[in-house]
Amino acid sequence: MPGGPRSPDPAGGPGAAGGPGAAETEASLVARAQAGDVAAFERLSGAYADRVFMLLLRLLGDRAEAEDVAQEVLLRAWRGITRFRGQSSYFTWLYRIAVNEANRVLEKRSRQPAGVSLGARELDLPGAPAQDPSRQAENSELRRALGQALAGLPPPLRTAIVLRDVEGLSTQEAAEIAGVGQAAFKSRLHQARLRVRAAIGDEVLAGAGG
Amino acid sequence: MGMPGRTDDHQWSQRHLSHYVEGELRPRARRRLDRHARGCANCGRGIRAMRALVHAVQGLDGLTGIRAPATIFDRVRLAGAGGAASSQNA
Repeated sequence: MPGGPRSPDPAGGPGAAGGPGAAETEASLVARAQAGDVAAFERLSGAYADRVFMLLLRLLGDRAEAEDVAQEVLLRAWRGITRFRGQSSYFTWLYRIAVNEANRVLEKRSRQPAGVSLGARELDLPGAPAQDPSRQAENSELRRALGQALAGLPPPLRTAIVLRDVEGLSTQEAAEIAGVGQAAFKSRLHQARLRVRAAIGDEVLAGAGG
Repeated sequence: MGMPGRTDDHQWSQRHLSHYVEGELRPRARRRLDRHARGCANCGRGIRAMRALVHAVQGLDGLTGIRAPATIFDRVRLAGAGGAASSQNA
């Protein structure tokens, strides 16, 4: 799992808009974006667009919704770029906006009547490489159970387990993105794991190995 | 302050299973949990389950390689066409 922002992909495209290169540092792109340069903002944020989108997909579990929220995240980042002071990395700042937006959507969902809340579609995403059929069935069952258990977590706990365990961020970075201290983040993570463990059951987990 | 009793050790160990499997406990605390888990089937099972859970979640979604949609900057471009970044909160 990646432990931090990946290197920008020079291939181009919305998720890899070239990224800050040696001649064009992140700081210079931030300065230009703060002066109102949309192209600089796209270059700056484009380097992290794929990761932001994947995070939203993981938190929201719905592609159409993730696409909509991703646009909103970038818009909020653009509108707030003049407030970015470089106290954290740009990646951390952008991810924090994404987490806040996703949690806002999740909170809104949780207030909706039953039947439109998170369901089995959540995190029911592309599978791992082919394995023998029985193992594949076990993994498929485990993935479904995990997806449902994660979908049932309150947003702060879900965020903690996605940032730390799925995304592989460090505790320090994940806590910063979640907007809490490290001790509080660890507590959330522990609570999240306990709930998921209880939902899945130790027998299923023991069968999954580790 | 006296030595912690068995119940204290068990409750403390249960609260620190996550930190234990991540290797985030200090050596003394790790030894304390190790010592307790050797004689406690519940905590031993908890450690194995936590390890399996973290491992399973890490390989959960197979999302590597997913690209952001081409529309991701659409709203920014619309807003940008109307003027420079405002001072609204992010």
